[in-house]
Amino acid sequence: MFFIRPIERRDLNALFDMAEESGIGVTSLPANHDKMELKISRAVNSFTDNIAQKDALYLFVLEDAETGALAGVSAIEAEIGNQDVWYNYRVGNSVHASQELGVHKQTKTLFLSNDMTGATEVCTLFLREKYRQGVNGRFLSKQRYLFLAEFQERFNERVIAEMRGYSDEVGHSPFWEGLGRKFFQMEFKEADYLTGLGNKWFIAELMPKYPIYVPFLSQEAQDVIGKVHENTEPALALLQQEGFRFNSYIDIFDAGPSVECRLPDIRAVKESVVVDWVADENSVAIDDPRGDVWMISNRQFVNYRVILIAGANIKDGHIVLNAAEIAALSLEPNSQVRAVSMRPAIPTIRSSK
Amino acid sequence: MYIVRPANIMDLPGIERLHTSYEVRVTTLPSDRDKLSELLHTSTQSFQGDIENTQDATLIFVLEHIETGEIAGVSGIDAYAGSGYPFFNYRIEELVHASHHLGIHTATSILYLSHELTGSTVLRSFAIRPDLRGTPYFALLSRARFMYMAQNPDDFSDRTVTEIQGLLDDKGDSPFWNSIGRNFFDIDFATADYYVGVKSKTFIAELMPQHPIYVTLLSEEAQQAMNKAHPATEATCQLLFKEGFERSRYVDIFDGGPVLTSTSKNIHTIASSKLKEITTSKLVGGLKYLISNNQNGDFRCGIGKLVDGIGDHIRLDDSVATQLQVSNGDLIRYSPL
Repeated sequence: MFFIRPIERRDLNALFDMAEESGIGVTSLPANHDKMELKISRAVNSFTDNIAQKDALYLFVLEDAETGALAGVSAIEAEIGNQDVWYNYRVGNSVHASQELGVHKQTKTLFLSNDMTGATEVCTLFLREKYRQGVNGRFLSKQRYLFLAEFQERFNERVIAEMRGYSDEVGHSPFWEGLGRKFFQMEFKEADYLTGLGNKWFIAELMPKYPIYVPFLSQEAQDVIGKVHENTEPALALLQQEGFRFNSYIDIFDAGPSVECRLPDIRAVKESVVVDWVADENSVAIDDPRGDVWMISNRQFVNYRVILIAGANIKDGHIVLNAAEIAALSLEPNSQVRAVSMRPAIPTIRSSK
Repeated sequence: MYIVRPANIMDLPGIERLHTSYEVRVTTLPSDRDKLSELLHTSTQSFQGDIENTQDATLIFVLEHIETGEIAGVSGIDAYAGSGYPFFNYRIEELVHASHHLGIHTATSILYLSHELTGSTVLRSFAIRPDLRGTPYFALLSRARFMYMAQNPDDFSDRTVTEIQGLLDDKGDSPFWNSIGRNFFDIDFATADYYVGVKSKTFIAELMPQHPIYVTLLSEEAQQAMNKAHPATEATCQLLFKEGFERSRYVDIFDGGPVLTSTSKNIHTIASSKLKEITTSKLVGGLKYLISNNQNGDFRCGIGKLVDGIGDHIRLDDSVATQLQVSNGDLIRYSPL
């Protein structure tokens, strides 16, 4: 059985291993020991309310209950852009028109913005290679919505996710080559690494501040605006399933899209329910990960836990849990859990007649 | 023998004929007959001082062969660039993108759409019969404008500018236009140029991108062409440099050609010109000078020999006096050729 819990200081080495495995593109997981330690420290303080709510970083790990090994990590930033300066390009439009000349030309234009400042970000999704099976990836991603649903007051109504932009097999980003690179000689890999170390702000300061008319960029760069890296496509699909949509903002380095959803509109937030639970050793095991699987959280903050159970354990008004599941959730008697199906409810189609 | 005088509507066919002999495009000289006729009308009013709005003053001069009446060249001045509308240029500036934290320091050039030169006096519409290029009449046609400005300093701005034709490729296309303007118009340089002629430069300029442009994002060819003069303008540039004009941080928004500027009163011809009363005489020797009469509507400027001395009077050859329509006791202005 796998379960979700807040990160702890003892997870440092495991997280560092993951960072090394993640490589380029997962900028929020830099393979740098000191930075990693700071990050974990910040997350631990966030779950113990030792830092301001707006500065909180909630890092979750997916743990294999049998071996204690960590399978992956995911996170929520309470509010982005408060400590540093958060930059995006907004993909906008400029119209140059003259009735007399018969000219009416729309030109895609990139406007540098700090519009996302203060938004909540779901970020840092990484699942180790050998655990990339079944429902693990989806679980790691979607469990965060139970946390958002439970502690809405800690977050901004605007929830965003930034998607890794397109880069080729050798890690070249055509957008970077077409824009950032022209302003200072730096490989994308290096910019990416520096970003992970928390230097994005500094690099952003070196980027052009005035709007960029897209036709000035190389065709290769134009083609990847708003395009995700192929490894990120599944993550994007999951976000879209939950109601996230492209919000016209892109990353200033690799042009990866930003997607957004109002917190109360996120599918898993909206559909989640708070219910009683009963102990029953005959609870049904998950036999098909693609079947009807539910996420169950213990609704606790410091000791937040989430597990998966089979849909068959959802009864009228309560949920059936066995002893191992109760232990994994460290549930107190007479407490309630929050539950939501992993997958959106299948819409009932009715005839219009 | 050639003289420079104000153009009038009768010169229209002569000016039109010049079009066919251009080596260089002269955007500021319309090829459209109605436009040209309108321009000549405005010019005549401007010379006579009965233009309603002095900002609209435009003076067109022609180089006329006295014996045949042939029009061999044309030149002009706009008293106030933009005539009340914005006069557009790109101003080239350097920006430094630096980070102390990362130890990075990069200089980058940027083009700002600028109205800064609005209201400057602009030299315009220069065209001369190609075979006269290497002769003193080339300087006469160009510098006669400064002689006119010298006698009417209050009618012109403190700053005089001129836009030099930019570099074109072998096909007559402008790499600068192709990299900037074309993205916003979907029309080629020749067509844009045509519109500039029949509409106005301001009209087209208002459709250009309003945000600053990073030079590093332009095509290599456009970057190379920026602030470079067309080879055919070499003689013009040399003359203007001698007059004290300098390169500036401004370039044309269409073809990226350089804009030369000077403080009006420091233009060599203006600063060096002198005014004296004449005594007509026969066969005056001496050095060659640009000589103009002290008229506006009947302005004449030609080349003649003078011996400049310390007295208040200067002797002027009878035949030159006739050409300049001056007689004994009239004032002339002169400047070394």
